[in-house]
Amino acid sequence: MQGLSPDGRGIAVGRELLALFPTLDWLVSFLGAYSDEASLDELIPTMTLEHVRREGGGHAIVLRCAAADAYGVDRLRRVSSATRGQLYTGAGSVFVRWRERDAPFGYDLCAPLSAPAEEVLVVDVNVAASYRTVDRMDPVELIQRLQLRPVPLPLRGIAADPELCGLAELALVLVAPGLAARTLAYLWRLEVPMAGYYVELEDDPRPSLLLRLRNPTRRALDVLSGMPGVELLAPVSARAAVEVGYKHPIQLASASACFPGEEMFLFRGTVGRVERLDTAPRFIDGRHLVQNTGGSRLREIGQLREAELDPLRVDLKLRPSAHPREPRGTLIAWEQVDLLRHLVYLIPPSALAASRLVPLEEGVVVLTGSGVGARSASAAAGLGAGAIVPLGRRLGAVAPGVLVVDGFELWPRVRPALMRQLLGLGADDHALFLSASADPVRVRPEQLLPLDAALIGRMALGEAVVREPVDAPLVPGEVDNQKLGRFALWGFGGLSRTAGVPALTDGEDDSEGLGPGQ
Amino acid sequence: MSPPLAAFIQSFVLPLLGGGAVAVRGPIRPSDREDMAQDPGELGSPALRFLRLRRAQQLAPDPVLPDPDLTELTLWIGLHNTLVFDHPERDRVWARASTWRRLEGATRTFLTLPAAADEAEGLARHVSIGAFVQLLRRDTVVATSAGEVRFLGQPMPRRRLRLLAVPPTGHREELVHWLQAPHAPETERLIEDAMRTSPLTCLLHPHTAPPGWSPLQASDFLRSRGSARSIVYTWARAADWVAVGAAVMSALLPSVPLPQTAGDADPPRASVAPSDPWAGGERPELPPPSPPGEMLALPGVVVPTSPEALSAVVGALIHLHFLKVVELQARLGALATGRDPGTLAFLALPLVLPMIASVTGTPSPGLGGAGLGRASAGGAVLPTGGSANSRGGAASGTVARRWAEYLDHLGELVPRRTVDNLLAALVPRITQRQ
Repeated sequence: MQGLSPDGRGIAVGRELLALFPTLDWLVSFLGAYSDEASLDELIPTMTLEHVRREGGGHAIVLRCAAADAYGVDRLRRVSSATRGQLYTGAGSVFVRWRERDAPFGYDLCAPLSAPAEEVLVVDVNVAASYRTVDRMDPVELIQRLQLRPVPLPLRGIAADPELCGLAELALVLVAPGLAARTLAYLWRLEVPMAGYYVELEDDPRPSLLLRLRNPTRRALDVLSGMPGVELLAPVSARAAVEVGYKHPIQLASASACFPGEEMFLFRGTVGRVERLDTAPRFIDGRHLVQNTGGSRLREIGQLREAELDPLRVDLKLRPSAHPREPRGTLIAWEQVDLLRHLVYLIPPSALAASRLVPLEEGVVVLTGSGVGARSASAAAGLGAGAIVPLGRRLGAVAPGVLVVDGFELWPRVRPALMRQLLGLGADDHALFLSASADPVRVRPEQLLPLDAALIGRMALGEAVVREPVDAPLVPGEVDNQKLGRFALWGFGGLSRTAGVPALTDGEDDSEGLGPGQ
Repeated sequence: MSPPLAAFIQSFVLPLLGGGAVAVRGPIRPSDREDMAQDPGELGSPALRFLRLRRAQQLAPDPVLPDPDLTELTLWIGLHNTLVFDHPERDRVWARASTWRRLEGATRTFLTLPAAADEAEGLARHVSIGAFVQLLRRDTVVATSAGEVRFLGQPMPRRRLRLLAVPPTGHREELVHWLQAPHAPETERLIEDAMRTSPLTCLLHPHTAPPGWSPLQASDFLRSRGSARSIVYTWARAADWVAVGAAVMSALLPSVPLPQTAGDADPPRASVAPSDPWAGGERPELPPPSPPGEMLALPGVVVPTSPEALSAVVGALIHLHFLKVVELQARLGALATGRDPGTLAFLALPLVLPMIASVTGTPSPGLGGAGLGRASAGGAVLPTGGSANSRGGAASGTVARRWAEYLDHLGELVPRRTVDNLLAALVPRITQRQ
């Protein structure tokens, strides 16, 4: 049969499929069952629905679509047989029965058959029927016009199980025009996160309010579900929502091709209507929809009474403490500098690089990296010569860059950042409390000398003397074809005159009389 | 009048070895060579000996070279005459074709030298042939309205300059590699003869080696550690090191044929059976059956091999792999390979190292099976780090990891059949275990 060809498994598959259904209800059942299993988007682009009359009498609904592979056709056959449909395959106007148990590779015609004009010939095992088209239906329009089926709600209300109603994550609320303001105010008081906009429904002069509630609370759902004039809709796809308590006969999530363009479809079961919104919903945040009725205003503070804080102020002072601190530096008296010079050879390189030095009247202060103005990450880590050198008095950090001799602390214990602020330190400044009686010392960053550079004497480098190699590098030779001039070639006949000279291979003698002209 | 020996050395030999203009004049006759041999004192000139030594030092730090002798002079004359065949003014010579054939025969005789007696003589041959292989030629190219005119190794004559009306900047100079440039047919044949005189040069430049050459002819150089290291480093410097190793391995494969099994020893002769599909009347005519014992085909020349020579060559090729692993270029190089047998056999060599490591040793400790790091019987092992200090141990660990990854990579790249062929043909000849 023309248009019928075997696939990879040898099954006869035609270019088109034809399914016969006795009534429209069974067709809807077929579409609903198929949409539960697979996507209707594969069928709808090539699907046509026709109301046909049989030649001998009787009516039927015919669904025609392009055939996919045999696996897909088998699924169609299984679903159609469950909904009282008959599946045929073929092309053009002649169709034969799809494969079944008795014919696992399908059927073909025993003899060529042709259908009358504008009729479809359906051939079964032992019977052929001719159908004439009476009416055509648009499948997209049919799906959009289908009546919703009521489904039972939980006995304890929607709030008992919002997951069952599809409202757990997102709920759409269509509010009648007269209830919009009160509903908004109620949801605003409940602090329900919402967004919405006003939509103009067909045959309604005043716009209704469409609200979107994300993760709606159970209380809000409970109140809204029982309110006349307020309809809860559960989104079933990106552009379709069905009223809670109803179900569309077809799984709309698998039929996105039924909703062309950017239109939004609201299937309302209570009033039995399908609302088509012309554009995709553009929700506005709920705080812009409600009306502010509050009258209280914040008052700006005029003048602060700073003078009244003076009795509260206390002095920052040094007091003895037994609290141990990690050493961040050391104060070495000038008499012990010679010992420091010897100890430098023992300090590890990382510690030497992380340490800085400040020469003061009281002695030499060797600082370990304190995080303030540190030259490197290792310096900021804190292991420096100040922690290693066993000389002088240790200095501990009470705040970044604020060092106090060991055995003392600053009192009261204020925040470290505030302490630097109270002392008036710059970003990279250090404050040293070297003794309880003396005033603290401010050390600016330019006064900090790297310990290694300060202690190691300068070395004078001599200029390198580069000696040119005596011998030029060996380079490949270049062929120089010198001028030959015109001369006669001779002297390559005959044998060699002495032993050890290579013997010639060609013994032919030559008789040209001229020698090489070179 | 024959060119005096001093002039020949000054104009041809010294520039050939040390760089400069290598003068190519008219062909040198055997009688001229005899005239030169009358007074060979110039062969001992300090400049010549110094340049030979410097050339040899490019391969070995402390080379031992014999004094220049008449055999080497004969080789230089042969090289000179080889260049004469490419002379652009050759058609100006009054000579018949038979005379040119005689000149080719005489030049071939010059280039036909006995095999080098020892390494020193082989190195001396390489000094000359290696410089010959590296020769350059400066061509002058003039762009005219009728196309480009190329003067091969010659300056542009002023007369032509006037005739062609070339502006002063209308010409350019190109430096071409002489060996890779097109040659006269005689030159092509003589280059093969010249290459046969120096197996070491063939080993270093396997792409230019003549047909039938085998690396086993130069295995003596691979047995000593210093020269072997220099040779392998020369291979590693090549841009396409896999192609170099594959060329050496391709030349080695005819020397290690697959052993004949019981089934292969007496292949069944084709017989006309009743079920023969050709028996339908269209069967092609077969030659008449030859008497028993007659050879229908001659096998290729197989160089006698010794385990020491084989292990030296194989060890050097494996060391080439190792050098590229250390340079982190091994995987990239091995990716762009073809499927010819030489390339596959070369890539499969590291996979058989555990089986021959007891003889060849391994490039580095920890890269093989038994006998790690031991000196081989043939001296082919080229250890890179034998000390057991901590830094060397860490480096060896890293290299061993890279080597293991490289072996895994090769295992995926090389067909198993190639490895099996090497295990059947090469490994027993090295380990002497059948």
